[in-house]
Parts: sequence; C-alpha cells; structure tokens
Amino acid sequence: MTTLGDALQASGVNRRAFLKFCSALTSLMALPPGMAPAIAQALAKAKRPSVIWLSFQECTGCTESLTRSSSPTLENLILDLVSLDYHHTLMAASGTAAEAARAAAMKEWDGKYLLLVDGSIPTSDGGIYGTWGGESFVDILQQGVKGAAAVVAIGSCASFGGIPKANPNPTGARAVSDLVKDKPVINVPGCPPIAVVMTGVLAHYLTFGKIPELDEQLRPRAFYGDTIHDRCYRRPFYDQGKFAKTFDDEGARNGWCLYELGCKGPITHNACATVKWNAGTSFPIQSGHGCLGCSEPDFWDKGSFYKALSTTEWGNAKTLGAAAAVGIAAGAAAAYFGRKRQEKVEKEG
Amino acid sequence: MSGLDKIAVKVVDGADAPTGNVRALMHELAQLVDAWTRGGEPASIDLRSLPLTRGDYAELDTVLGAGAVSASVEAFGASEVRESQYPGVWRVTHRNEAGEVVADLVEICEVPLILRAPGEDVTDGLIRLKEALQP
Repeated sequence: MTTLGDALQASGVNRRAFLKFCSALTSLMALPPGMAPAIAQALAKAKRPSVIWLSFQECTGCTESLTRSSSPTLENLILDLVSLDYHHTLMAASGTAAEAARAAAMKEWDGKYLLLVDGSIPTSDGGIYGTWGGESFVDILQQGVKGAAAVVAIGSCASFGGIPKANPNPTGARAVSDLVKDKPVINVPGCPPIAVVMTGVLAHYLTFGKIPELDEQLRPRAFYGDTIHDRCYRRPFYDQGKFAKTFDDEGARNGWCLYELGCKGPITHNACATVKWNAGTSFPIQSGHGCLGCSEPDFWDKGSFYKALSTTEWGNAKTLGAAAAVGIAAGAAAAYFGRKRQEKVEKEG
Repeated sequence: MSGLDKIAVKVVDGADAPTGNVRALMHELAQLVDAWTRGGEPASIDLRSLPLTRGDYAELDTVLGAGAVSASVEAFGASEVRESQYPGVWRVTHRNEAGEVVADLVEICEVPLILRAPGEDVTDGLIRLKEALQP
C-alpha cells in the first residue's frame, strides 16, 4: 500500500506545496499552527485508507456537497488520495459489479476500512422500507460495520435521523449511532455538511491514526466546538441589542442580528460562520436569513424557522440563558475558548 | 426599469466594522515576541481561528505595516510572505489555486518555514546539479 507522501510526490506536489497543504489542514482542524510541520511528517507516512460509502434514506445532498466543490483545490486533494473503493450512489449504474467491488474491499481491508454512511436507516416492519437487491438497509449496515475500523455518519440523517425521522416517522428511521454500538461512530451533521469538514475528519484520522475528539453528540470538537453565534460577524449587533424585527426593516438593511427573526445560530454547532459556503462566498446569515440549525438533532421538529429561539422547542431556559449571559464578552470569549482548545490539543499532541 | 432603483436602501455591511480585537491581538504578539527573544520558541497565530471582521483585517494590515522583506511562493497557488514593520513578525497568507485563502497566519520567527528550502528537495536538487555537470 502506498503512502500519502508517495502519492502526492507522484502527482507532482513538491515539499513546499505539501507543507502549505498541511498549514491549511492545521487551520481547518483548528489545531495550533505550530503543529503544521509535525502534521506534514505524519501525513507523508500515512497509508491511503480504503473507504466504503453506503447511502440509505437520503437525498444525495451530502454527496453533492462533497463532490461538487468549486475547483480542484489543495484541501480536497486529500480526497483523491483516499481509496474510495465503493460509493453506492456514484456506482449504482454498475449494479452487481459494484456490489462485487464492495465485497472485495470489505474482505481485503477487513478491520481497517472506514465506513462512511449517509442517510438514516428505516427499522419499522422489519426494515422493509429500504432495500438494495432484496437486502434491508439494516442488514447492509451491519455487514459493513463488522469489518470497519470506524464509522463516519455523514449528514444530519445518518447522524440524527434527519428529515426521514421527522414526526410521525413512518419508516421508523434511526441514526447510525442508534444501531452501531460496538464501533467508534463519528457524526458529521449538517444538511448537507460542509465539504471541508468531511475532508478535515478524514485528514485527522490519517494524521493521528485515531478518531478526533468528539462532543456528547459524537461530533468532532474541532469543527463543532463553537456555535454559529460565537463566530458570527453580526455578533456585535446582538451584544449591542440591535435586532432586525422584519426582513425588510431598517435593522435588516443595516445587517443587524437576526435572533428575533428565528436565527438558531446561538444553539447550532457548526463551522458555517468561519468556513462559509460555495468556495467561501457566504453563509445563510450573511445572505440575510437566520440559521435553521440544520446540524442539530431534530431541527426539523422544533417549531417555526422564523420564531425566536426563546419561543420554540429548542433547548430550555438554562441553555438559552447561558447563551445570553455569554453575550457581553462574546468575541473575546470565543477567541479565548478557541485558544484554550488549541492549547489542550498541543499538550495532548 | 422596474422602479426598484427608486427605493432608498442603505447598505451597511456589518462585516466591515472593526471590533477592537486587533488591539488584543497586538498585545498577544508583543508577548510572543518577548518570550521568543528571551530564548523561547518561535510562535504563530492562526488568524482564521479568531473572530475578525474585514474591518479588523484592514486595521491589522495598517498596524503591522510593511517591513523590508516581501516574498511569494508558488506552490499549488500563491503564498505571500510579508515582514511587518516589527522585525521577526511575519504575515503569511496561503492561497489555493482558486485564489481562496486556505491559511492566514502571523508568524514570529527568523524566517517562515515555507521560505526555507526543504532538506530532501536540496538533496534532490544536488543530484540534478551533478547530472547537469556531467560532460
């Protein structure tokens, strides 16, 4: 099996370019920038992992997010360097040949491959609401999990059940972590998740040979450690009590905080405010619309997207109170916690 | 025309307002340079890990000013390396081939690593040089 370093050299990436690539990854993974040379060393020696991607109850938005990035860039180079041995949606047209490739990869890399899953898994009525070639999604998932080193749940459906699980959940949709208990599960929620976040999780696994530090929702802290609100450029207006009240009032035109128009930024953990979307062009709040909270569990069943947090079924008085109390010193606090996390990683590394 | 242009819309972009975080950042820089000159380690700060607005970046550029050295490195997109008016404090901006910023750092060191010739590249270069000298 070739190393990533060999593969990069062969594709014409010189060592300066590789160092730069690692600086970008270090920034992406929210690690201390001084670690870039060490990451370059570790990554150059890493083996290309085999990746098997299963698609269940999903809309293909996650795959779109990952494969339709604007141009071949340094960050997604790493995606060319994993060995994507099976992708259900991309290979669907190949039928039995694709299924044979999945079986072969599972056998060859038994115990070592990464299993990526998008979509939730229907469990009602014996799992009959989702099948491929006569096998239920439940069974296909369990077969895949058996030989996997770790399972990555891509998107809010795989992570938390997503839209298929929305009330009254007719198919009995469940999240991957509901069904997989004997292997490490990493949740990468978002509808869809940010492409570079998916890349970053793979890069972390390759660099350190283990899964990244996770929060209580099994999300990598490096990307989901802060809320949208923590890093939002409109945050100073929240702190000053300047809110847009309707989408066409003076506050909206002045770019004030969208909290009262239903923005779920204060309780949504994701990197949209820093990484942004569409090649870093913008993100919902920058376009004048509140955050829907798409990377949080059950966002689809928690009341109106356009009602202020305090009047919906999000969180409770305690969490909202905490979000408000942080208010005043927010910019500094976000920076402080970001730095604290970096120091922690540095000590562990 | 639809007449929409007659509606007065004042566009003020919140992303342009400075937040005052640059001053905090400069204090941190002073501390890091101080520690380094007393025999400590070189250091770097990842600007993208901080909540900085466009206004903050403009302010940072102004307070850092321009030093004697500026260089660019072409490696999968352009990287700019600029010494500030404070020697040993460098602004290093890495861009990808599409021109997007992929890492934006302030480095405190003699020379940023990206400018140094990597050891293995030097060895490879020597081999090529000797080959070129073959009669």
